[in-house]
Amino acid sequence: MRNRSIVNKRLLFMLALGFSIALILIIRLGYVQFSLGGWLAEEAEESWSRDIPFEAERGEIRDRNDEVLATNISAPTLLIVPRQVQNPVETAAELAPILQMDKAEVYEKLTEAQSIVRINPQGRKMEEATADEIRGLDAPGLYIAEDNKRHYPNGRYLSHVLGFAGVDNQGLTGIERYYDEHLKGDAGYVSFYSDAKGQRMPGMADRYIEPQDGSHVRLTIDDRVQTIIERELDRAEATYDPDGAMALAMDPNTGEILGMSSRPDFHPEDYQDVPPEIYNQNRPVWSQYEPGSTFKIITLAAALEENLVDLDHDTFYDPGHVEVAGQRLRCWKKGGHGQQTFLEVVQNSCNPGFVALGERLGKTALFDYIRSFGFGEKTGIDLDGEGQGILFDEDAIGPLEQATTAFGQGVSVTPIQQVAAVAAAVNGGDLYQPYLAKEWLDPEKETVVRRSTPDAKKSVISEETSKEVRRALEHVVAKGTGKGAFADGYRVGGKTGTAQKSKDGVYLKNNHIVSFIGVAPMDDPEIVVYIAVDNPKDTLQFGGVVAAPIAGTIINDSLQAMGVEKREDQLEKDLDWNETPLVEVPDVTGMELRDLHVANYPLKLETEGDGTVVTAQAPAPGEKVANDSVLRLYLGDKSTEDD
Amino acid sequence: MNKRQPDFVLVLCVVLLLVVGALMVYSASAAWGSFIFEDSWYFAKRQALFAGLGLTVMAITTHIDYRIWKRWSLSFLLICFVLLILVLIPGVGLVRGGAQSWLGVGAFSIQPSEFMKLSLIIFLAAVLAERPEQLTSFKTGMLPLLLLIGAAFGLIMLQPDLGTGAVMVLTCMVLLFVAGGRYKHFFWLGMLGVSMFAALVAAAPYRLQRLTSFLDPWSDALGSGFQIIQSLYAIGPGGLMGLGFGESRQKYFYLPEPQTDFIFAILAEETGFIGGSLVILLFTAFMWRGIRIAMLAPDGFGTFLAVGIVGMLLIQVLINIGVVTGMFPVTGITLPFLSYGGSSLTLMLAAVGLLLSISRYIEA
Repeated sequence: MRNRSIVNKRLLFMLALGFSIALILIIRLGYVQFSLGGWLAEEAEESWSRDIPFEAERGEIRDRNDEVLATNISAPTLLIVPRQVQNPVETAAELAPILQMDKAEVYEKLTEAQSIVRINPQGRKMEEATADEIRGLDAPGLYIAEDNKRHYPNGRYLSHVLGFAGVDNQGLTGIERYYDEHLKGDAGYVSFYSDAKGQRMPGMADRYIEPQDGSHVRLTIDDRVQTIIERELDRAEATYDPDGAMALAMDPNTGEILGMSSRPDFHPEDYQDVPPEIYNQNRPVWSQYEPGSTFKIITLAAALEENLVDLDHDTFYDPGHVEVAGQRLRCWKKGGHGQQTFLEVVQNSCNPGFVALGERLGKTALFDYIRSFGFGEKTGIDLDGEGQGILFDEDAIGPLEQATTAFGQGVSVTPIQQVAAVAAAVNGGDLYQPYLAKEWLDPEKETVVRRSTPDAKKSVISEETSKEVRRALEHVVAKGTGKGAFADGYRVGGKTGTAQKSKDGVYLKNNHIVSFIGVAPMDDPEIVVYIAVDNPKDTLQFGGVVAAPIAGTIINDSLQAMGVEKREDQLEKDLDWNETPLVEVPDVTGMELRDLHVANYPLKLETEGDGTVVTAQAPAPGEKVANDSVLRLYLGDKSTEDD
Repeated sequence: MNKRQPDFVLVLCVVLLLVVGALMVYSASAAWGSFIFEDSWYFAKRQALFAGLGLTVMAITTHIDYRIWKRWSLSFLLICFVLLILVLIPGVGLVRGGAQSWLGVGAFSIQPSEFMKLSLIIFLAAVLAERPEQLTSFKTGMLPLLLLIGAAFGLIMLQPDLGTGAVMVLTCMVLLFVAGGRYKHFFWLGMLGVSMFAALVAAAPYRLQRLTSFLDPWSDALGSGFQIIQSLYAIGPGGLMGLGFGESRQKYFYLPEPQTDFIFAILAEETGFIGGSLVILLFTAFMWRGIRIAMLAPDGFGTFLAVGIVGMLLIQVLINIGVVTGMFPVTGITLPFLSYGGSSLTLMLAAVGLLLSISRYIEA
């Protein structure tokens, strides 16, 4: 063959080409198996595995002393894997009565062309007994997944703060929503390998990924304080039939919220029963309105810090009104308060007096202080839906705006802002960020994994100024408009507020939000309480009349519950015309009965037991009681006492 | 002329590939077999049967002097053309997998295009051996042969079966190249091929979809990219050692018909890179022995016949493994000796018999 050599050359070329191609194929195979292998394996794994979710248990919400406020109860959920259901007709017939459903409906679910089917709502979050019945069927393709639903053991209590979780255990409002990420945990699942037709792949073990339960949160809320607040708001609602009410208690030294409540309220497990505005409006942080006189505390603190007033020596004459920019601003008291020291101006909540303080400050300083006390911006409390309030636009402030702002009109603030600001005014001047979540606990070990610390955002006034504010506020309660809040031995200070509600820029007649902000004890404040009642009926709409007594009760009972010592040296309360003076109960224990000269005591004595010596008495020595109260004496034998 | 023993290495390679193939067909088809026929051995049994039949045919053709086929080459070619036309007649040809390419009844059916590939190789080998020098002329050498190839290709494309057509054309080109075709002719042929391909793509958009899907199969994961993705899901997790024999996951209905076109994917999944590479190396050894036979063949017919047969088989290997590993678009080409498939396996083993027959006459 003539061209044999050409043919052989080309054959050799083909051989080389073939070897190269073989090499390329091997390299490509290696590339797919090694370089892409890991990623492909993951993707493939995902395409093979079918997950049956195991819900994580949502973390509990507790109060600062570990009282459980929100927890979970077991509520299993039925999952159907239609491909694995062997006899849908029979299974449907068995399952239908358990779920109280129509047989045909169940059959439809059992044969749906889905990898996993849920029956809503009958098969979702079922009673444990129902789940047991389904387990008892032992039917292939039916799975009972551990699931649970949220339970709020105290019902309506603290409902706005706690919020609630939806059917998928997702937080929808309140703490449940704000801290959903922490509370919800990570769902686990049982994963089985499925062939492309949905059947279990033979010989493949199931994989179980354990759910990671959510963390428990320990709130700053004190269950005892909260219980008192809820009780008092219930009472206020029953007494005054108001449009709404709210209360807020905070530790002024840390910003920890001790209690918070809003009315109207709702039951978190039945939130659908009320309109959304009820569960969405947590009034202490959401509502913003004219504060009224409670705001005077800010004007007072500013004027004191700037050394513009001496409460005891500077005087002011109140004719009952003041003329500002051609407008006549009235004092709440007809005819005015006449000649007063500035301490009395505060006691009397005298509007013209505060206009004068505002003038001494001037608009820049007044508004600078208002802003530095935190008004006009959100406090940053760990709840959604906080209002930020409205201050006058800097350019729009004339003498009239400055004057009304000085006594709390024409500005709009939230209760939480007021509480934080007043806390700063009395605690030595530190503006704390209010907060609710105190500690996070590991769900299994119960150890603290994260802790919030008090955050003093800034120092607003000096300790001296703060001390003077405390003195003035104690006077308001002992001698002025806040007498209703007096709690014997607890040195309550505070300020009333009565704000006219406005609608579409017009003030409403006989429709006020009456409020009181109280602090105690004044020598070392441990609690700030704010209470507001929206449009109370059949009463004088004054803060001092409606709100102050509620605040006084809350403060008194809370401090007692918290174990705060009563003080010896309080500013004694001035008596109103209709009040009887209190007498201090003498210590008569150990005295011989015959030594008790009955006539010497303004109390009625009643004795119990046989004996000649007083072994115990009620009330205890030192308590203050009305002068015609009963003093009960328990008599015994002296000699037995000595043993 | 002294007769030798047939090439032992070549026989060994083929037998090993057949054994691996039978095992893999069993493993890959067990799930489908029990699903469709309630018999996990269904495909494996039939594959063993066809392999046995094929080996018998191979033994027979090995012992027939290959030069006999030269005489019959024109008859074979004409018969194949008739069959290719017959298969296109509606009601005569059977439609499977979207192409009308089968003749016969049920299991006893053949693909005329498969026979055409071999007939054309035999015919070209005969012609080229007769007048090798003519090839240097385009008009009298190349052109008539190209028209012949084009006619066969055209009939196959009417089924349509691009994969088989492409294997046939490429095999013929290898043959013409080895026989001494001129480079510039191949250059222009390449140009023509490219433009024809473009025209084919324009005529049937699904071809373009197949083409783009292999570039990024995930762009249409449930459509045109589905098979490649499922194939890669099999190969990727295989790693170095594989998941072990019978442990494939993708064979559980993820990969459509894993025992045919995608058997290499299951092989790579179960036996890993090692198994996959060994199979490629077995094919490489087969090629080496085949080309050696071509070089040492006593005459031009033997040389060209050997090259044609080796070329046809290895082009299929290249395309199949290229498709399965995601290098080429999906074409529907089986992997010789491994893929399940009765008539084509028998035919391929018959062709190997021809190769072995040539090896008995080599001058070494």
